[in-house]
Amino acid sequence: MVRFLLRRLLFAALLVIAVSSGALLLTRFAPGDVTANLGAFAPPDEVARTRARFDLDRSPVAQWGGWALRASRFDFGASFLYNRPVGELIRRAAINTAILAVAALVVATLVGIPLGILTGSRRGAVPAAVRGASLVCLSVPPLLTSLFLVFLASRTGWLPPGGMTSVDVVDASWSAWMLDVAWHLPLPALALALPLAATFERLQSQAMSETIHQPFVVAAMARGVTWRQLLLDHAWRASLRSMCAIYGLAIGALLSGSFIVEYVTAWPGLGRLMYEALRARDIYLVAGCAAMGGLFLAFGSVVADLLLFAADPRVREGQAA
Amino acid sequence: MKTRLLGIVVTAGILAAGYALWQSPGAPGSGGSIGQVQTRGGQLVASIRAVPRSFNRLIAREQTAELLSLLTQGRLVRINRSTFELEPWLAEKWDVAQDGRTFTLHLRQGVTWSDGAPFTAADVLFTLQAVFDPKNESVVAEQLTIDGKPIAAAAPDDHTVVLTYPAASGPGLRLFDALVILPRHKLEAALKNGTFANAWNSATPPAEIVGTGPFTLREYVPGQRLVLDRNPRYWRKAADGTQLPYLERIVLQVVPDQDAELLRLQAGDIDMTQSELRPDDYVAATRAETQGKLKVVELGVGPDADAFWFDLKPEAWKKDPRFAFVSKREFRQAISYAVDREAFAENVFLAAAVPVWGPITPGNKIWFSPNVLRYPHDVNKAKEVLKSIGLEDRNGNGIVEDAQGHEARFTVITQRGIGWFERGTNELRTQLARAGIALEVAPIDNGALIKRMLSSDYEALYYRPLTTDLDPASNMDFWLSSGSGHFWNLPDESSQGREGPAVQDWEARIDMLMAEQASTTDLEKRKQIFNEVQKTFAENLPVLYFVAPRLYYAHNARVLGVVPSVQRPPALWNADSLSVRGGP
Repeated sequence: MVRFLLRRLLFAALLVIAVSSGALLLTRFAPGDVTANLGAFAPPDEVARTRARFDLDRSPVAQWGGWALRASRFDFGASFLYNRPVGELIRRAAINTAILAVAALVVATLVGIPLGILTGSRRGAVPAAVRGASLVCLSVPPLLTSLFLVFLASRTGWLPPGGMTSVDVVDASWSAWMLDVAWHLPLPALALALPLAATFERLQSQAMSETIHQPFVVAAMARGVTWRQLLLDHAWRASLRSMCAIYGLAIGALLSGSFIVEYVTAWPGLGRLMYEALRARDIYLVAGCAAMGGLFLAFGSVVADLLLFAADPRVREGQAA
Repeated sequence: MKTRLLGIVVTAGILAAGYALWQSPGAPGSGGSIGQVQTRGGQLVASIRAVPRSFNRLIAREQTAELLSLLTQGRLVRINRSTFELEPWLAEKWDVAQDGRTFTLHLRQGVTWSDGAPFTAADVLFTLQAVFDPKNESVVAEQLTIDGKPIAAAAPDDHTVVLTYPAASGPGLRLFDALVILPRHKLEAALKNGTFANAWNSATPPAEIVGTGPFTLREYVPGQRLVLDRNPRYWRKAADGTQLPYLERIVLQVVPDQDAELLRLQAGDIDMTQSELRPDDYVAATRAETQGKLKVVELGVGPDADAFWFDLKPEAWKKDPRFAFVSKREFRQAISYAVDREAFAENVFLAAAVPVWGPITPGNKIWFSPNVLRYPHDVNKAKEVLKSIGLEDRNGNGIVEDAQGHEARFTVITQRGIGWFERGTNELRTQLARAGIALEVAPIDNGALIKRMLSSDYEALYYRPLTTDLDPASNMDFWLSSGSGHFWNLPDESSQGREGPAVQDWEARIDMLMAEQASTTDLEKRKQIFNEVQKTFAENLPVLYFVAPRLYYAHNARVLGVVPSVQRPPALWNADSLSVRGGP
């Protein structure tokens, strides 16, 4: 188990290094740079100074080397857009994204898995309607889902149409702030959760329909196990293997899907920060956000492995061997 | 049974959502008459799309920094963004010497900074010292430099400032609208130790930022919002003696997406934005107005129009034979004849635009000349003009070419993601094809576009360069051949006052006329000279303009006292006089 975790941690470190370095170099090689933000007719001196500040006057390799050296000391450079250290910005944004991602994951799990069990084990109008709804949720791009939910919120007034907190909580207590965040959370969380819940539903449904035809399920049925017990204690547990594998990817997908959702719903998270950084070619902020994104992905992968480890005795036995 | 129950629940949910959508909550009150009595108190929420990079307006040039300076700082004089008249501000009155170069400004008595320190002439001298300190590379230094020399200032006493211009200046004191006065007692140390350029950056604690403006910065949450509270020491009072500002607080909420911004405006989640409505949003906004949620106002014709130009820098084309006809004024005149401006307005701006024939639009009431050369839509005339310079369709493929077979086919780049830029270039492609000129449209990222423009790495470009002030003397970089905004023929970085073949005769003439009008103090004479400039420009068409948009602005109907401006910010330029219904 320890060796397994060490291997995973090493993989996570490599992933973070590869993703952030790739992001830095791609931003460097993409047309345009951060100085475009100074305006079309910025004085040449100011342009040169800004290029020097962000090491754009050095070769890409030299720039990467300097950045990697500083990053190894947890100094990720400064952001052009915000004039602040990148580390400070991504810490704050990552917390906000984590709040959103956890909420979306919980919603997607609570909605997607039971519906998947339902559609995988039954036939009829309701499962068919659920399957149809899942396909719609899967095929609608996150931009449209977000805009539709913002539209719905703005027309009905049921939920705040954007942001993470209201302007009225400037002087409010900590508990009022928490309540306010909880009030703003459903809209972006739903925008993120809908396609994910649909993915869970489809996968769970397929896994369930395959499992209930397995000989051990038929045998359990012959032993007189009730249908409910059969589904939850036998078939569902056995079908979890594929679900656990998808969880790691889901955490990564939550982050990448959050780009547009956070942008449209004005949620101040990592996705929106990275989107703005990319638009502005804010090179060190892009690299910092990518590093944090890689960390999220690696974390998701470890979580998936641990879940699989817990759910599937064959994996445990394989590790032990 | 369970299935039926679920069906009932789902149906009820859909019906409830439908009912709520149909009903949708009314505006926070109805009507919105401007004539209502304004009262003190309340909070206004406005959206911004980008965060500020600095709170120091002498260093930062972006729109959010300008907006914050309007809210938190004061100027000696200001240009009223509605009437474009010069108004006294921190300077109560002034005298002009006979030579037209010396201005004696009398500062208001009793004005204090938001932290209670007195505002004096020493602050003005300090600010000018900071502007002209080359280490700071202030973004307003160029505007306050005449004939390459800075404006000199002296303070005979605490409430008098004498400004001496190195030469007569057409705009005169209007130049000082660009200068926010900063507190010497807070920033003198930074200027002395050479860190002024980094002072008051966006990481500075809000309590450190003091000003003489109507509001003070209370909180800045990066990426989310800025909160500004009323400055209790603000000097200005309303005509009825009410202490300004009316508002207790302004919240600037960061909403990066423009679609979401409009939805939140309609929902009453934000009270106003910092930009005019897009043509596509007009219908939705007027519908919200009929429901009493929003007030939509027509700002008039915008002062800036979309521009289309070829790179006229000879070096950029190297030995490309097409430059032989691109560089001819007749070629550009043919394009102007070929474009149906009415159809252009209809298809690109949904008819909310007026035809224009030069960079100065009817929105710039003082400087617009209706008598510049016009090119009425006539495709046959366009073809005739092209033929006169040897361009005709010799091989029958619909595209004109010269005698050597070089086709009039170009790639035009524009900014990706801006609806009217992409529609405009496509409309242009369609219309010019009728005259035999082929355009290939390439929408690209703004950063890449600017880089290619500055390095002359393009054939043609469609964009909207914004002017900083309506007075042409404040936009000399556009008009002068040596200017950094002379984008169709940018000077090399190393060149100082270019001469020779790189500058055409007519460009040299515009240089001469602009220099003359900028140093003339008589407004009527300046107008006459500038009309000549516009005439020369329209004859040579280095940049083609087709239509100028009519601008509309929407704000929540509960906001009172809005005096809209065609310049950004359309409403918050006058923030001290805004109030909200149901405020306190």
